[in-house]
Order: sequence, then structure tokens, then C-alpha cells
Amino acid sequence: MSVLRPFDKLPALNSAILLLVGSDEGLQQKLAEAMLREKKSFRINIRIATSLPLPSEGDHLRPRIDLIAFMIDIKSKYSLRNVEASLAYVDASFFLGKVCFLVTGVGRLNCCSVEMSAIWKLREVYSSPVLFCELELEGIRVATAQRLLRMLEICAGLIPGVSALYFGSLMSRSANF
Amino acid sequence: MQRRQSSKTPKQPLQGHHKNQTDLSAWRKGGRIDPEKIVQNHQTPNSQKNDRQQDSLEQALCYFEKVQDRVSLKKNSVLQKHLATVESIALQRGLPPEGFDVLLNVALSGKFADTVNTCLLKSLVPASVIPESSIISSVSWLCVGKCSGNIQLLFLKWLITVFDFIDHKEQIHALYGFFFSFLQDEKMCPYVCHLLYLLTRKENGESIQWCEMEYYFGMQSHLQALLSLYKLFCPELVTITLPGKMKTYFKNSEGPWKAAINAIRQRSQGNSPLSQPLFLGTAQPQSRKRKWNTQLFIPASSTNRNNLEQDRGKNHVDLYSTNKSFPVEQLQTFPQLLENIHHLEFPSQMGSVLTNPLLLHYMNCIKDESVYLRLNYWMGQTLQEECTWCVADNQYEDEFKEFLETVYKTECFLQEGFSSCEEFLYKSLPLWDGFCCRSQILRLVSWIPLGSFSEMKSHLYDPLAQLFFTSSLYFKCSVLESLKELLQNWLNWHVIHLDSASDSQVCSLNTTLSGLVNVVAELIQFVGWISTVSLRLENNPTFLLYFILDFYETVCIPFVFQNPNTLRLSLTFSFVCFFRYRTNLVAAKENEQSKKKILQFKFSSQTYQEYNQYIIAMVGCLWTSTAFQKDIHPQGLRMDEELLKKTAVQEFKTSFNIVYHPAMMGYAVLFLQQAWPDDTTFNFSLIKGKKWNWYLEYLYAQGLKGLKLFIESSINRVSQASHSKAGNTQA
Repeated sequence: MSVLRPFDKLPALNSAILLLVGSDEGLQQKLAEAMLREKKSFRINIRIATSLPLPSEGDHLRPRIDLIAFMIDIKSKYSLRNVEASLAYVDASFFLGKVCFLVTGVGRLNCCSVEMSAIWKLREVYSSPVLFCELELEGIRVATAQRLLRMLEICAGLIPGVSALYFGSLMSRSANF
Repeated sequence: MQRRQSSKTPKQPLQGHHKNQTDLSAWRKGGRIDPEKIVQNHQTPNSQKNDRQQDSLEQALCYFEKVQDRVSLKKNSVLQKHLATVESIALQRGLPPEGFDVLLNVALSGKFADTVNTCLLKSLVPASVIPESSIISSVSWLCVGKCSGNIQLLFLKWLITVFDFIDHKEQIHALYGFFFSFLQDEKMCPYVCHLLYLLTRKENGESIQWCEMEYYFGMQSHLQALLSLYKLFCPELVTITLPGKMKTYFKNSEGPWKAAINAIRQRSQGNSPLSQPLFLGTAQPQSRKRKWNTQLFIPASSTNRNNLEQDRGKNHVDLYSTNKSFPVEQLQTFPQLLENIHHLEFPSQMGSVLTNPLLLHYMNCIKDESVYLRLNYWMGQTLQEECTWCVADNQYEDEFKEFLETVYKTECFLQEGFSSCEEFLYKSLPLWDGFCCRSQILRLVSWIPLGSFSEMKSHLYDPLAQLFFTSSLYFKCSVLESLKELLQNWLNWHVIHLDSASDSQVCSLNTTLSGLVNVVAELIQFVGWISTVSLRLENNPTFLLYFILDFYETVCIPFVFQNPNTLRLSLTFSFVCFFRYRTNLVAAKENEQSKKKILQFKFSSQTYQEYNQYIIAMVGCLWTSTAFQKDIHPQGLRMDEELLKKTAVQEFKTSFNIVYHPAMMGYAVLFLQQAWPDDTTFNFSLIKGKKWNWYLEYLYAQGLKGLKLFIESSINRVSQASHSKAGNTQA
């Protein structure tokens, strides 16, 4: 029943921790492997969960989480409901730039069962960016892995002068230039 | 009048029968002119099977031709068998031209139940061409009204899909009025509109018939599309104002035919290159074309046109000789284009225009709006309905890329973006993963017409920014490059159109000049924003800087950026850019002083002040070694003494002059090596006085033209004489 909080643990040196939440474990696994294969200058640790809350027994062992990526499959309404239910177990301060939605299945819009407006609404309500991708395809999976790594690096505070909050404000639709 | 003709019509189909009877046997015995034959020739390994199929097809056609009474499908195994034969052969190889007359007559005469008729209509897949006569007789059946509404609808859908396969269109054009009268039928109206849209020529618009349209006009999109075409032909006759942009013109009259036609075409193309000549303009004969690219070719109806025309005798050719239109399939050479430029007839698959250089010339020099309208309609439909799913089906990706590439090349050639393409981008960019067809999509972005800010922000800037910030350095550079091209294209387009607008007062632009300038200013602001952010995110890579400067050189506005956190101050001035900015400002000022012209752009005095401050700061850094001092601009380079002390950088005043500037230091080292070969201490302070001038000459000789322009224009050198002397001594 514990709510995930971004700042209640100390960060580890030169490392970043990503939490992938989504109903399709196979795709999560593939994405995580693609991320691990990428070249990077810091250690990463990817945790996979089908839904939140995380079991409380392992709580003390769990490292500080820098970024939560919620995966929604556009072909399954269940995946959206699952994400919506899980969002309740995330502390509000996470939404200051440390959450993103990963929408997969964009390559098959013709068999899409999730309304696009529902996705846009999620983005508005939780003021978190949405990344579109098609994880079934190798090339796009790699490109998505790179984008996630980039965000993770920022959220873990590994890029000087750029904080998660700043990045979150850049990615919000109301960003003004 | 229409009624009177239609009362005659039941006889016409019968005449058709006799004629086609002979045609059918001719086909059976192997008339070599038929393209169907060409397709068959290379299938020799299974020619026996083909023979058997032909026999059974012939039997089936004979059966359908002779059938007299209403037969029910369930009880009649003969009918079942023949129906199955026709269906399977149609899907496998397509039907020969002679089959259409027979089958259409049966299907539309109401002899069978609707299920049989539907089945027959659905298997009307052309192998090569469809004779015009069969269409004419079908229309007469429609007028008699023996078949049900559903069959009528299905027939219309079929006619729209196979429109380009009809060998002649003169007689069908003569039936324009008939089709027009079908508009009154509420159910048929959308499809009839589509058909009329394909049929309409200039002279049709001049007939008064369209007036009736207004009666039934309820702003439905299909009527609107047809009206917009009429309006192009005869603007004086259409009084209603139509909305400028249309999302969808017609509902996709999708039937089973398109897929079947494509499948047959692929099969025949894949089997042998012989069938290639059927398609005009096959630029890359080797590639396996599917879906999109097959539509880029002018359909096959053309090639045997001449032969058929000779066969048919002269009677109806004479009838229509007054209004002979030149089918584009026959267009081969440039002189031909010049001769027939005023009566070209375009196919409904306007995509064929994209790969035909002659037709592109036509589009470019004759501003035929109807061609643009049709091309946009075709492209919008192709992009939106057929390509949304392409991403996941990997095998289509290459073809889709090729198609986008073709569209881009056409846009480059016409120097104009397509509105359908713009809509496609606006629709797909928010969902884009930034990877699939990257270079093609970014290239197409460069042809988006710049619109109002709110539109651009939500459709283009926001989605691009989201991708930009999370993507790789390479992606960032590509985006900047394409935005630069977007700006360039905009500038080119407006230079031409402003010129022509001032000559002839055709100022169709409903936007004012200041509005246009605002749009560009917003683009520049957007690029400024993403560039500064990206420099910070990527830790100032030179590669990215290069693309940013490239953009700003086009803009001609200096771009000053500062990173206060790390106190690493980068001077990202481009000298060329400064020089152009100066030229523009000076020109504007002279303009203002002379007051001869009405000013197009008004620069405020603040702009000049800003420029002067930039210049002072630049000269301070580069020349007089007084960096961080003489500058009061809030975004400028001045810094507190205290702060500068904290950096512990000695000699900060000189650290950005032309010797010590990071960008120049390499040159300074080389210069020192040449001037004092014995000295290995790299004593940069030696470069002063006369040597300073030599060094400057050295820099110019290295090709730093931007620097030369900047220094010669912005720095009033006191020792001009000594400079020239120094130059002489060096020479």
C-alpha cells in the first residue's frame, strides 16, 4: 500500500534507476534489454512491475527511483485501466518531471482500441510527457530506448544545470518560448 | 430528354452482346494486341492450367449471356459453379475486357437475386481495360431501374474505383447529364458526386446544371468538393463561398476491387518485366512496387487505346472530334506537351503526375487549380487512409518512404507544399516516434506553409519540441536543418509572390505583411528557444552549434547566448550573419531617410540600439580586448568585477580577442609557428602592433571571409594607412 516517493531515499553515485510499469511484461523485458545494450556513461538499473503499488516487504532494499515510465498499449483498453489504477500509488512530487507515459502500438492505429483523447487527458492531468513508439519493431525500440535513457539521465540529475523539474516544464505543452 | 433516352436503352445492351460475342472468341484464340495476352505469355509453365481456366471462364460467360429467366442460387448448381469460376478467375488474373459487358448486363438487369448480383459485381476486376461500351449499357440499365438500390450503389463504387481502366471516356462524358440527374437520389449522391468530380471538364462547369445543386446543397463535403471544382472552372457561376480547406472530400468508396487489382498487377509485374511497358513512366523498373507506388503510374488503359480506336471504326470518333482531349498516357515528348497543353486529360489517379516530368512542367507553368485540387484530394486520401498503419507492417516501409520521397521531390520541383501533405504531417507528427521515415518526414516539414501561431504551435512546434528534447544529437541537427529549409522555402516563396503581387494587384494573400513577418519571427523565436535549451542539454557540442549558426545565418539576426551556470561563455556570433544584419539595417535606415518608398518593414530605434550594443560588445571582445565591460544590455556580456575575479581566469579581458578566442587559437598557433619558427613557447602576446596586422592578413588568407566582412565594415581602423603598408610589406 505504500506510495512511491521520489526523494525519501538517498541517490547512489553515478547511477540511475528506471521503473517500468505496464501490463505487457514481454515488451518491457525487450525494452529493458535494448536500454541495457546502449552505450552510456552511468550505471542503470531497470525495475519492471506490472502494476503499482509495489510490495512493501522489499521496500527497504529498493533504491531510489529516478523515473517512472508507464507503458500503455494502444491496442488494449486493459493496459490503460491498469496504468490509471497504478497512478494512485505515486506521490504527487513524482509528477514534477519524473514520470512519463510510453504509448506503444502507434504503428497499428487501425486496430486501436484506446481513444487518443484518453491519452491526451492523461498528459494534461498528470502534466507528464507522452512518448509514442512501436516497441514491436526493433529499430523503433532502440530509438525509444535511447530517448528513455536521455530522460533518465536528466531525471537522475546527471546532466549539469538541467533538473527533472526544468525538463518537465520544457516538455509540457504550455511551455513558452 | 433523359427519360426518353432511357426508354430506348433496354435494346442497347442486346446490341452489345452480339458485338462482344465475337470479341470474346477473338480473345480466346489469342488476339495478341491485348495486354492481357502479354501477361499470359510469360506464364507458359502452367499454360495448360490457364487453358482450362479459360475454357471454364468462357463457359461461364456463355451461361451468363444466355440465361433468360430468374434463377435462384440455392437450387441451381450450374449457376453456383459458374459463379465460383468467375469469382476465382477474377481474383486470380482479372477479367478480360469482353467479360464486362456480359457480367454487367446480368448483374444490373435484375435477373438474379441481389446476392448473385453483388457477387458478380464484386468480381469485376479488370485484367487490362474495361470497354467503354459496357459502361454505357450499364448506365442505361441504371436508368431503367431494374436493379435494387444497393446494387446501384455498388455499381457506382465499382465505377469510381476502376475509372482509370475504362478505355475511352468520350461517350461517358456525353452521359454527364444522366449522372448529374442521379444527384437527386439521396443515397447515391455522395458517390455520384465523386464520379462527377472525376468526369467534370471545363465545359461541364459552363452548363447551367450545377445551379440545381444549390437546391440540394446542405454543405455536405462531397457536394462541396464538386462545387469547388465547378468554381475553379467557372468562378462566375458559383455564388456560394466555400471554405478554403477541406478535410476529406469523399468517403473512400472502398470495395474489394482495389486490393485485387493491385494484387494482380503485382503478380504480373513480379513475373516478368514484359508487362512493364503497360505503365507509363516506370522510372525504376526493377523495384517491387506495392500499394502506394503502383498508383504513381498511369493506368494501363492507355497503351492499347490506339488499337481499339482503329478497331471501332470512325463513327464515334468523328462525333467527338470537336472536343478532343489528349490523354496523358500518350504524352511522351516535350513538343507533344506544347501542342496539347490546353486539352490534357488527367486520370483520376492523380499520383501518376508525380512521376511524370512532363506533367510536372505542365503543373508548373499552367496554374490549373483543378489539377492541384484533384492531386491534393488524391494525395490526402492516399496519405491518410492507406498509410496510417504502414509503420508496423515493416515490409511496406521502404515503399512508403519512396512515396514520401517522391512527394518531397515534387514539392521541390513545384516550389510549393501540398495542403494534403501538410494535413498529414499535422495529424501524424503528434504520434510520431521520431524514427520511422525520419529523413522523409523532416524533409516534408520543410514545405509546410507557415500559418498562424496558434496553429503552428499546437501542430508543429509542440510535437517537434517534445521529440527534439528527448532525441539524439543527430535528430536535433536534422530538425534544425529542416527548420532552416522551412524558412528558406518561405522566403523564396514570398519573394516571388510579393513581386508578382506588386506587379499585378492580385493580392490574394489575406494576411498583411506584418502578419507574415510575425509568423517568421515566431519561427525564429522557436528555433532560438530549442537551440539554447539543446546546447545546454547536450553540453555545447560544436556539431550542434554549426547547425544553429547555419540557421541564424539565414535569418541574419545575431544570436547571443550565455550559460551563466558554468560561467563558460560562448560567443556564438557568426560574422557573416552580423554583416548581413548590418547591411539590412543600413539599407532600412537609408530608406527611412530618403522617404521615397513606403516602408515595408519598420525598424524601431530600439533595434538600432540593440545592434549597436552587440557591435560594441563584439568589438570589445575581439578587437580592443575589453570584454565584459562596455555593455549595458541585459542579455549582453557584461559581468561584475567580483564575479570575474571568482573565476580565477587571468587576463580575462583579452581572452576573447582574435588571438585568444577558442575558435581562433588554432590559427594563432600556426601563425606563431610560421612567424617565429624558433620560438616554441607559444607566446601569444607577441602578436601585436604590426604583427597584429600580419596576423589579420593571415586570417583572411585562411578563408575567414566572414571575419573580413565584419572587421572591414564594423571597425573603423585608425591606422588604415599603416594597414595597407603592412599588407604591402607582407606581399
